[in-house]
Amino acid sequence: MNAAPTPMATLRATARGYAPRVLQGRGWVLAGLVLVPVALSLLIFTLIRLKGGEASSTEAVKVFHEVLVKMMLPIMALVAAPAGIREDLEQRTLPLLLVRPAPAWALPLGKGLPWFAWGALWLVVGVLGLQVLGGDPSLLPGRLVALVGAWWGELALMTLVGLLFKRGTLWGALYFFIWEPLVRIFPPALQRLTFTHHIESLAGSRAAEVGTSQLLAQEQVSTHPALALLALLLFGAICWALAGWKLQRTPVGLAGSEGEG
Amino acid sequence: MISLDRASLRYGPILGLSPTTFELPDGGGITGLLGPNGAGKSSLLQLLSGLLPPSGGEVRIFGEAPFRNPAVLARLGLVPEGDRLPTGLRADRWLRMMGELSGLSGEALQAAVAQALQTVGMADRAHLTFARMSKGMRQRIRLAQALLHGPELLILDEPFNGLDPEARLTLMALLRDLAEKGTRILVSSHILGEIAQLTDRILLLFRGRLLAEGTVTEIRQLLDRHPVELRLTGEAQALARWAVEQPELAALRMEEDAVVISVRSPRDILPRLQKAAAEGGIPLRALDPLDLNLDAVFQYLTKDHA
Repeated sequence: MNAAPTPMATLRATARGYAPRVLQGRGWVLAGLVLVPVALSLLIFTLIRLKGGEASSTEAVKVFHEVLVKMMLPIMALVAAPAGIREDLEQRTLPLLLVRPAPAWALPLGKGLPWFAWGALWLVVGVLGLQVLGGDPSLLPGRLVALVGAWWGELALMTLVGLLFKRGTLWGALYFFIWEPLVRIFPPALQRLTFTHHIESLAGSRAAEVGTSQLLAQEQVSTHPALALLALLLFGAICWALAGWKLQRTPVGLAGSEGEG
Repeated sequence: MISLDRASLRYGPILGLSPTTFELPDGGGITGLLGPNGAGKSSLLQLLSGLLPPSGGEVRIFGEAPFRNPAVLARLGLVPEGDRLPTGLRADRWLRMMGELSGLSGEALQAAVAQALQTVGMADRAHLTFARMSKGMRQRIRLAQALLHGPELLILDEPFNGLDPEARLTLMALLRDLAEKGTRILVSSHILGEIAQLTDRILLLFRGRLLAEGTVTEIRQLLDRHPVELRLTGEAQALARWAVEQPELAALRMEEDAVVISVRSPRDILPRLQKAAAEGGIPLRALDPLDLNLDAVFQYLTKDHA
């Protein structure tokens, strides 16, 4: 009889085993979600400059906050998370994993790691691409860390929600596109319960670019960057742990759905 | 090896498996799990393979409860029904991952993957993605993943579904071979002929209840109240005259050149019948048992419990 694999061996095996999935359709959609807006921005600003116009360096900040952070990052999580452990649940291939002696709680993270790495790669490429538009180079590390940290947290959250609810994607979309925008009118305590707050604490607030029509209803608070990063990483780790706990505890039958046993 | 003590399974308000008790001993051999669709076969297999814990009672595999128990899961292999496999992956790489999740590594892993692929006859096609494989090929890969770690208990849920006749025969031969080498195999099917070709040791399920356990003959003996039908071919009138004098006769039907008799306790009447025919006492040309096969047993039992 073989010894049961360790959690690390389980993570390594699942991450390596499912890694080729990111090079297929869904993976390229993920890459496109970052690259298309960045490439379009570059194209537009290049054309403006070619015509003798002057492109403001603050435009890069706007693309970062309004497009990448607000739209593309949540959509990436909504696209990638269903390809994680939720995919095995829906395709009824999860029992093949669960009858192995490997710890079931490690499977959500093991299957999510390739998607995290793939998404992080393109986010880094995207942020570097935006830097070409201009902007303060000193803010670059903050932007990189903010996006990758938020990607870790958002992907983990969506994986957990996908295991908790049948319509996990819907609940995730409601969270990202209804709760998060409320950060502008939230009191300080609630602002800290959004990804946007921590991203802005790390990457620099966009407040300087806010027009009079976008005046905040509440004072915008800030968290120390180190604490903001810690919050994102910790939140992601907790979500991965909860997803693992949910899978470990939940009987999943051959039909793929949860059993009542 | 397998022990169920009033183990039951509920899906919410629906009873998937009534309290069931049986044991399978250690050692190799094939046991058929038989029953129509909805009989509770998959429920039982999910309990045995540790996917679901019992709602009541106790399930023990190798002396331990199997649900999320690595010590048990390391010793069993499961081939679930259907041909579903993860999309977009290559068979050999996926098998490698499954081997690692079974605790294999290094050269042992390489050897196990190669051996499993060789066993199921897929060594030369393992580089294909699942999407490019036929149903039969995917079924073989599913069997390979269950064999990777050399399980002592192999559980197969409807493994013959969708296989062409040649693939069925190949799979049957493979299962017999594994059983001879010491693997205990539990195979479910709703098609009686498949199980009958593999083994005569069966567990018969119907509507979530274990109706019978044993060989076809043993089960048949449990059913003494159900007469066995025999067709006696020869001079019908003379055969009928002989038959009505037998105390085991339950019913009689005349055919053109034969008589079909229903008898209880065929073990008693058959020797007398053979003796009478050998001595020329009855004009018997042929004797055909009509319902001693698995189909008949199944029909009898399910009709009785319907």
